[in-house]
Amino acid sequence: HGSPGAAVPVKQCPSACQCEEDGILLLVDCSEQGLSSVPTDLSPLTSYLDLSMNNISEIQPNAFRNLHFLSELRLSGNHLRHIPGPMLQGLYNLKVLMLQNNQLERLPSEDPWELPNLLSLRLDANLIMEVPARTLSGMRSLRHLWLDDNALTEIPVSALNDLSSLQAMTLALNRITLIPDYAFRNLSNLVVLHLHNNMIRTLGQNCFEGLHSLETLELNFNDLQEFPVAIRTLAKLQELGFHNNNIKAIPERAFVGNPLLQTIHFYENPIQFVGRSAFQFLPKLHTLSLNGATEIREFPDLKGTTSLQVLTLTRAGLTSLPYDLCHLLPKLKVLELSHNVIEELPSFYHCTSLQEIGLQHNLIKQIEMNTFQQLGSLRSLDLSWNSINSIHPDAFFSLQSLIKLDLTGNRLSNLPMTGLTSLTHLKLKGNMALSRSFGLEDFPNIRVIEMPYAYQCCVFGGCSSYRSASQWEEQMGSEEEDFQKKSPSLFPIHTDNNYDLDLEEFQLAIEESKLQTSIQCTPIPGPFKPCDNLFD
Amino acid sequence: GNKQVSGVSSQGCQGGCQTCSVYNGCLTCKPKLFIHLERDGMRQIGVCLASCPNGFYGTRSPDRNDCIKCGSECDSCFNRNFCLRCRAGSYLHKGKCMESCPDGLVPSDTKKECV
Repeated sequence: HGSPGAAVPVKQCPSACQCEEDGILLLVDCSEQGLSSVPTDLSPLTSYLDLSMNNISEIQPNAFRNLHFLSELRLSGNHLRHIPGPMLQGLYNLKVLMLQNNQLERLPSEDPWELPNLLSLRLDANLIMEVPARTLSGMRSLRHLWLDDNALTEIPVSALNDLSSLQAMTLALNRITLIPDYAFRNLSNLVVLHLHNNMIRTLGQNCFEGLHSLETLELNFNDLQEFPVAIRTLAKLQELGFHNNNIKAIPERAFVGNPLLQTIHFYENPIQFVGRSAFQFLPKLHTLSLNGATEIREFPDLKGTTSLQVLTLTRAGLTSLPYDLCHLLPKLKVLELSHNVIEELPSFYHCTSLQEIGLQHNLIKQIEMNTFQQLGSLRSLDLSWNSINSIHPDAFFSLQSLIKLDLTGNRLSNLPMTGLTSLTHLKLKGNMALSRSFGLEDFPNIRVIEMPYAYQCCVFGGCSSYRSASQWEEQMGSEEEDFQKKSPSLFPIHTDNNYDLDLEEFQLAIEESKLQTSIQCTPIPGPFKPCDNLFD
Repeated sequence: GNKQVSGVSSQGCQGGCQTCSVYNGCLTCKPKLFIHLERDGMRQIGVCLASCPNGFYGTRSPDRNDCIKCGSECDSCFNRNFCLRCRAGSYLHKGKCMESCPDGLVPSDTKKECV
């Protein structure tokens, strides 16, 4: 190694490094070489220098002084504690500086880094407790800033004031407890702001003022006690997350200032009250999930929110649904309303895209002819644990895609068969008045079936000769065990927000390929559950 | 210690690995490093990195740091929806890759951006 500052042959490659020419410039990779200092014989034509994952704890003065062409400098994964301003002097063309995964505790304040063309600065995974006011003043072109996974206890408001070009910033995984008013006043170009995994308990009413371009805001995994009303100034917001907080209510007109919202993730909050108008006028929202908001009595007023594809509203106190539900939500694919107290159903006639309906654990008594009419895409219908005592003969007439029907725990004495030929999964357990027998021809594609009585399984289990109970149990038991282990829940109704149709089809295809040969019918006939129909 | 559980060990692991297996490389990483799954034929090999490779971005959470794929049009990104550098043929503007630039801006082939 030559002495610092000594003339270096234009294209020399330091011994421990690998070099590659990029036109007249040089790409130098010295990563993971066990280096304890910056090579002193770096070519002045170095445009890319990777010193990551070494043992460098200090940078010699003038280490980069001649590297006027340096565009990207990687120092991540070393043991750097402090980088005074002069260390980075002369890097006028630097665009990317990676300092993540070091032990930086302080950032220079009196003599800040002069990096006028820097675009991306990575300071994540260090030990930084504060960002002094002038630290970032020499980086006015900065667009992307990573300060996540540090020890910040407050938003570096003064330091951020200089960064009007900033477009993306993460302050996640710190110890921030409060966002003061006007914290991001000058960040008019900021598009993405991550604040997840802090301890934010309080938001200033005007804390997001100035963020005119913000599209993504993440406040997940904090300690917010109240709905972040400060979001009302974020007119460009498209993606909002505040799941895993401590919010108990969503107020009326909660998102009136955010007409472009596409996703709102707020699960894992003890939400009890939701204003009826909370989710109005969100024409781009495609998923809405509310679980356990017990104070909801009425279906939300979704005026102007016309693109919903997934609506989940479970464990609340809904007693009825709007008759014009499908006029309001014509694009609905998944409707999950389990664990309410719904007694009557409207016609879902205009919800032609519906693929999945979950109405289990309600108080429904009847299914009319037009309730599920024209739902040609419906694949899964869960009506279990209601009080259904009658279903119109043509109720399932047009459901040519229906493969899963769950009527467990109702009061049926008969089952209309029209329209059920494509079923692969049928559950009727608990309908003790349903004693009729069925035939294989009724369900040519059936794979899994649960009947009220064992004798109803005989026609599916092929039990022409009587088998001793042990033999029977043994053979079915191993198959049943096998089945339980492999198969996902039969009706994987998705209650969280990232519902994925492809995954479910993929799981179903796996199951079908294995079950091609046998039909699983329960309860399994045996010595105490004979094959003959005792009611005849 | 380096208790062998079905081939999992913390002894002899490469670079930033915490635990590894002969067949799948790194299974967990040392604190603050990202785990990235590389494909090797039918196998997935875990490696531990201080920054994710091109085409991936890092997500940090209290118990795990992962490399996640960027959007298809993106060479390097900040998160799934915000690009830092676009693939050939499109130009970057405020985190989006565009085939043509918004009014008032023109495409720069050297910078691969709308300027």
